[in-house]
Amino acid sequence: MSAPTLSQRSARASRPPLALPDLGAALPYLLPPLLALLLAGVAVEIWVRTADVSQFVMPRPTVVLEEFFVEFPRYFSEGMRTLAVSVGGLALGTGVAVLLAAGVAHSQLLERAVLPIAIMVKVTPVVAVIPLLIIWLGYGWEPKVTIAALITYFPVLINAIAGFRDIDPRMHDFFRSVSASQWEIFRHLRLPAAIPFMFAALKISVTLSLIGAVVAEFFTAGQGGLGSVIWIEQNIVQLHKVFAAVLMLTVLGVALSTALIVCERLWSWRVNQSSANI
Amino acid sequence: MALSGDAVDLRGIALTYASADGAPLPAVAPTTLSIPAGQFVSLVGPSGCGKTSLLRIIAGLQAPTAGRITIFGDEPTEAQRLKEIGLVFQEPALLPWRDVEANIRLGRELNPTRTRSGAPIAQLIELVGLGEFRHFRPDALSGGMQQRVAIARALALDPPLLLMDEPFAALDEITREQMRYELLHLWAVAPTQAERPRSAVFVTHSVNEAVAVADRVLVMSPRPGEIVADIPIHSPRPRAPEHEQSQRFLENAAAVRAALRSGPANDPPGVALAAATA
Repeated sequence: MSAPTLSQRSARASRPPLALPDLGAALPYLLPPLLALLLAGVAVEIWVRTADVSQFVMPRPTVVLEEFFVEFPRYFSEGMRTLAVSVGGLALGTGVAVLLAAGVAHSQLLERAVLPIAIMVKVTPVVAVIPLLIIWLGYGWEPKVTIAALITYFPVLINAIAGFRDIDPRMHDFFRSVSASQWEIFRHLRLPAAIPFMFAALKISVTLSLIGAVVAEFFTAGQGGLGSVIWIEQNIVQLHKVFAAVLMLTVLGVALSTALIVCERLWSWRVNQSSANI
Repeated sequence: MALSGDAVDLRGIALTYASADGAPLPAVAPTTLSIPAGQFVSLVGPSGCGKTSLLRIIAGLQAPTAGRITIFGDEPTEAQRLKEIGLVFQEPALLPWRDVEANIRLGRELNPTRTRSGAPIAQLIELVGLGEFRHFRPDALSGGMQQRVAIARALALDPPLLLMDEPFAALDEITREQMRYELLHLWAVAPTQAERPRSAVFVTHSVNEAVAVADRVLVMSPRPGEIVADIPIHSPRPRAPEHEQSQRFLENAAAVRAALRSGPANDPPGVALAAATA
């Protein structure tokens, strides 16, 4: 029996590769869901045709796909508006949550003051305050981003607090033994310790932010975005357009989640292996 | 009374915890002790005798409930501010997101206005035999290698006082015996720019380890910890593993064991014996 060689140890020490996954290896995981999706689509198509279902109840999948690709520029540009609201809300919610969490992690007084309010805001259905936000902030992007932020901040806040506190007490002793400042302890100990926690939270928040953006767009239907497309088209019963908008949202959701996983591999020192399968 | 410029000066230091029912729970009995600069002192005693508490008091991480303590004539917090204390724990306690080199550099980056230049980091890495592993993360290293990183991190501070809390207790027997001589070698050869000779307090529950490394062995009784014997070790340096078979070594170890058995004068011998062998 021989000791592991240097290159073997090196491989263990390095982070997971960022390169495109090996398609050959991924095929057994990609093929079954794609086939299932295709079969479901074909089944719906046959049902709609044979049972002569009205297009105002259920459009044919082929018509939806045709609408999606022929009118792709429309869905893409509306999608970009929704994406901007979603990412803007996520950034705002995450920024505020991390700042609050940093305060809470350092001060018990702040924890007692802030956490109950944060939980109150969290348990209040955000949809209920959308009309108020529109009155206060107008019909522009402001209320939409605010709603996306309100719906996303909570998982980040809770996980960031847990992460800032998840430090090795002996490591904390070492920092104290060289008279490190609170800022140095935060910058070099608490913040890196919290990074994996924050990515775990962002994986939840990223899909929530899309929900927030779409719901907000329902209320500001004149302002564009996929939410307003869905709202307007369902009013005039253009269901194939509603489905095309939903399909675009699915694409956005997958893109956002994938982007987050790439960011995690780039910036997190500990990658949760199970998260690699989206 | 004027306090000396000794590396460590304890005057009636005691630590008493309040138990759940409010009764005082003495952890460290009043202790008076001087460690001159340049001395390597072992503190040996059974588990739970308060030797770690005493070390934390010396490091300024735990305030004593009675008595006065000075490190080179200053308060321990001042010694921390001047980065005079190097700490090594029982577990390596490294930052998992930093590689070997960056972990060793950590103490120099913190509180930077007080950093002494000391030995170049690259030289320290070579000295602890981790040249090839410079860019490895801690989780890719064995326990012994991780503890070498922790020792190098403490030495990188070029501290006039090195405090070690059972640094080899978590290692296997073979590595442990090898590491104590590596430590002595480092102790002798690591370059220093401090004007004082380097001093050390080495906490252990292994009699052989205590005798092998030290100029002086302090024996602590079971809780409340009290220094019951102060045994000078006159073995010449540099020391090698063979020295543990010498007559002088065996006599010194026997003296330490006898002191551990005798315990404090006011305890019935049976109690002290049971605690010392537990």
